[in-house]
Amino acid sequence: MLKNGVSPKSPRNLLFLFEVLSLFLLFIYQWESVNRYTYITGIGLIFIIYISNLILNRISKGDNYIFLIVTMLISIGVIMIYRIDSELGVKQLIWLSFGIFIFYLTYFTLRFIRGWQKWITLYIGVAYILFILTFILGTRKYGAINWIQIGSFSFQPAEITKILLIFILASYYSNTEKFKKYKNAKYYIMLIVYSFIGLLFLQKDLGTALIFYGIFVAIQFIYEEDRRLILYNLGLFAIGGIIGYGLFDHVKVRILTWIDPWSYIDNKGYQITQSLFAIAEGGFFGTGLGLGHPEFIPLAYTDFIFPAICEEMGLFAGIGIIMLFLILVYRGFKIALSQINPFFRILALGVSILFGVQSIIILGGVLKVLPLTGITLPFVSYGGSSVLSSFIVLGILQVASEDLPIDEDLKLEEENNEIRD
Amino acid sequence: MKSEIRRIILVLIVICLSFVGIIGYMSYFQVFEAESVKMNSYNKRLWINEENILRGSIADRKGRILAYSEKQDNQMKRFYKYGSLYSHIIGYSYREYGKAGLELIYNNQLLNINENSAIDELINIVAPNTIGNNLELTIDHGTQEKARALLSGKKGAIVAMNPKNGEIYAMVSLPDFNVTSLKDDWGTISEDANSPLLNRATQGLYPPGSSFKVITSAAILKNQALSNDYKCTGTTTINGYVFKDYQEGGHGNLNLSQALAQSCNTYFTTKSLELGGELLRNTAEDFMFNKSIPFDMPVKISSFPSGKLGDTDLAASAIGQGKVLATPLNMVMVASSIANNGEMVRPVLVKKILSSDGKVIKLNRSETISQAVDSLKANEIKEMMVGVIREGTGKKASIRNVQVAGKTGTAENASGKSHAWFIGFAPVSDPKIAISVVLEEEGSTGGTSAAPIARDLIIYGLNNINF
Repeated sequence: MLKNGVSPKSPRNLLFLFEVLSLFLLFIYQWESVNRYTYITGIGLIFIIYISNLILNRISKGDNYIFLIVTMLISIGVIMIYRIDSELGVKQLIWLSFGIFIFYLTYFTLRFIRGWQKWITLYIGVAYILFILTFILGTRKYGAINWIQIGSFSFQPAEITKILLIFILASYYSNTEKFKKYKNAKYYIMLIVYSFIGLLFLQKDLGTALIFYGIFVAIQFIYEEDRRLILYNLGLFAIGGIIGYGLFDHVKVRILTWIDPWSYIDNKGYQITQSLFAIAEGGFFGTGLGLGHPEFIPLAYTDFIFPAICEEMGLFAGIGIIMLFLILVYRGFKIALSQINPFFRILALGVSILFGVQSIIILGGVLKVLPLTGITLPFVSYGGSSVLSSFIVLGILQVASEDLPIDEDLKLEEENNEIRD
Repeated sequence: MKSEIRRIILVLIVICLSFVGIIGYMSYFQVFEAESVKMNSYNKRLWINEENILRGSIADRKGRILAYSEKQDNQMKRFYKYGSLYSHIIGYSYREYGKAGLELIYNNQLLNINENSAIDELINIVAPNTIGNNLELTIDHGTQEKARALLSGKKGAIVAMNPKNGEIYAMVSLPDFNVTSLKDDWGTISEDANSPLLNRATQGLYPPGSSFKVITSAAILKNQALSNDYKCTGTTTINGYVFKDYQEGGHGNLNLSQALAQSCNTYFTTKSLELGGELLRNTAEDFMFNKSIPFDMPVKISSFPSGKLGDTDLAASAIGQGKVLATPLNMVMVASSIANNGEMVRPVLVKKILSSDGKVIKLNRSETISQAVDSLKANEIKEMMVGVIREGTGKKASIRNVQVAGKTGTAENASGKSHAWFIGFAPVSDPKIAISVVLEEEGSTGGTSAAPIARDLIIYGLNNINF
């Protein structure tokens, strides 16, 4: 569908070169502790990324650049994680391999099963079940109760519910004709989304709550015919923010440490100030891989990976990462505009907004542009749930970038005025 | 659906602008804020460098070492030779308590870390240095010791500087603290109500009291119509507020010179009403009130009230009371500018930065930062300030064989006990040293308590400083 002016082959080779060079640097830095795993990680990374780009070109006729962009992000991320903690680096590589597998799985499932736009009730149901499970089985991690621990395996349900949210919104807004029969459908949708946001608030997962809100408002802005609702939404956000500030200590702390972290430097403002130190120390070119001190940054391998990268690779690498996200979002929107299937069009939009909003929230957070909320930087941060969900989302975008027929079932359904939900 | 596409593009634009905004902020942060952020003593990276680089030493103007580092058992150890004498100038550099004073401000120079350009950065990565740079201060160790001895047992500050080239010879603030026993004292120091951590010379804001009359005199001289005599009866009432003189029954007939010598409150308050707030404020601002003073250390901004002043406020301001506040450093600069034909020079504390092999890396030269008054008026005020010492309130600052000029001050404040001030300089024919003394909540007049301290320090300084 999208005509590529340049063959994806040459950026693929550039990426290969980048990986070889940065791994070489890493080897020099860790020369004394280089072991079997180092080689496995290095060769594994290059191999997995090169091969999967190659395969994708054969399978998908859609946009093959988005996967290239993502593999660049992955490369920077995994190299940085490995440099911080080699054990985590190896683990992350395993997650990435699994993530790429999930990417293909999502791609094929979505491509060859029909009728995704019809199952809105299912999405809503599963989302609520995941929320309830989190409350029952949830364990506290970094202040938020948003992890489910099963054995040694921990998992963050919100990573799945945010995808479900996109499906719910896409199902709803691609079938507005059908839902018109229900009088207050648009209010129900709003109520459901706000109940999600409220639950996330209670779990103290403010970052994800913001992502939900961002996706909802953006999609609503594009598709809601009743323009008043958008204003209501903005109003509710303001009211919710003020109530949250007064009611919840954790919201208050975020705002206070955002306005002036320096006064709370040895307790609440510790994380953000350490992040600023790292970015400041990096300068334009960085200290060089292995020559900085990401060990001073709390959670440098997940939420705070961006300052760690800025410290060692410099401001220019940081800007590079932001540009990669910008191009990814841009291509996502381009995919949406070219997609004629309304369901997949909204899916593509939701997914692109998700990438955009999530990266803006965490980048703004570690730079003290926005209040800091703990979420991962997609594809760069360490974390199984984050990697898997990001790849599912990417798989969705990949499908949406192809020529898809408008579902015939749907048309028939509409004609017969049949309601199945 | 045209509007759908329009809205999609709008959302895309918002997201893209957010990304661009973040990039913009990051670049701004890196260019303008990073340097000062890095200097924060909570930045542990400062201490990493510390372990590999021999921190430079700090010496006074005669080369006497005040602080130095040594390598002991593979660890860098910092030594401060004079305990509390330099607690507010040199400060300290300890892992547990961070850095303060010149140790903080000149950290990069002491460790010889240059990160001014990308090239320097690359050089640092390839060939990191191991020996830091040394600092040579303008301080004269003997004068500093003398100043602290004169002030001991009191609260307050003394600053002594060269009025022509801005070199600071001594800067003492009491109470202070012993930097060598910070570990044991930290609890008491940080909670002491007298705030020993505060450098009163640069950070203390005091009502200058009558010492401010030097500035009011400069304003009066600008307006020839005000030079007529005035009869002082001891009190004057402005808008129902009574301004009193120290001398009961008043000073009788006075001209400006006599009024300054006797520090006649009624003279200055009455004249100020004719002067107007605008002119007085402009004059104060020429003396660096309401302006930030460039210095090697952060300096609080002395304040003169803004906006339109009521008569009572104006009259109070004219005698350095009310909302007028000044730092001791600013007041010594006021005295210096009178000594230096009205030219106010930038104060200098760090004279030279020297590399480990003795090469001068940076020489700190002073410059004129403000023409406070023209030289004619400066010399008139100088003569009046000589009168203050010869026959006025500042008699106790007079020295045999050396002509001193000065002005005393007794500033009322909320504590109920007045601050005692003295500002001045000597010798009048060729001023070499200017001094400001403030004794916080001393409860006596500047003439009785601050003036003799200034006299003793001037005598010591003139005999011992290598000018």
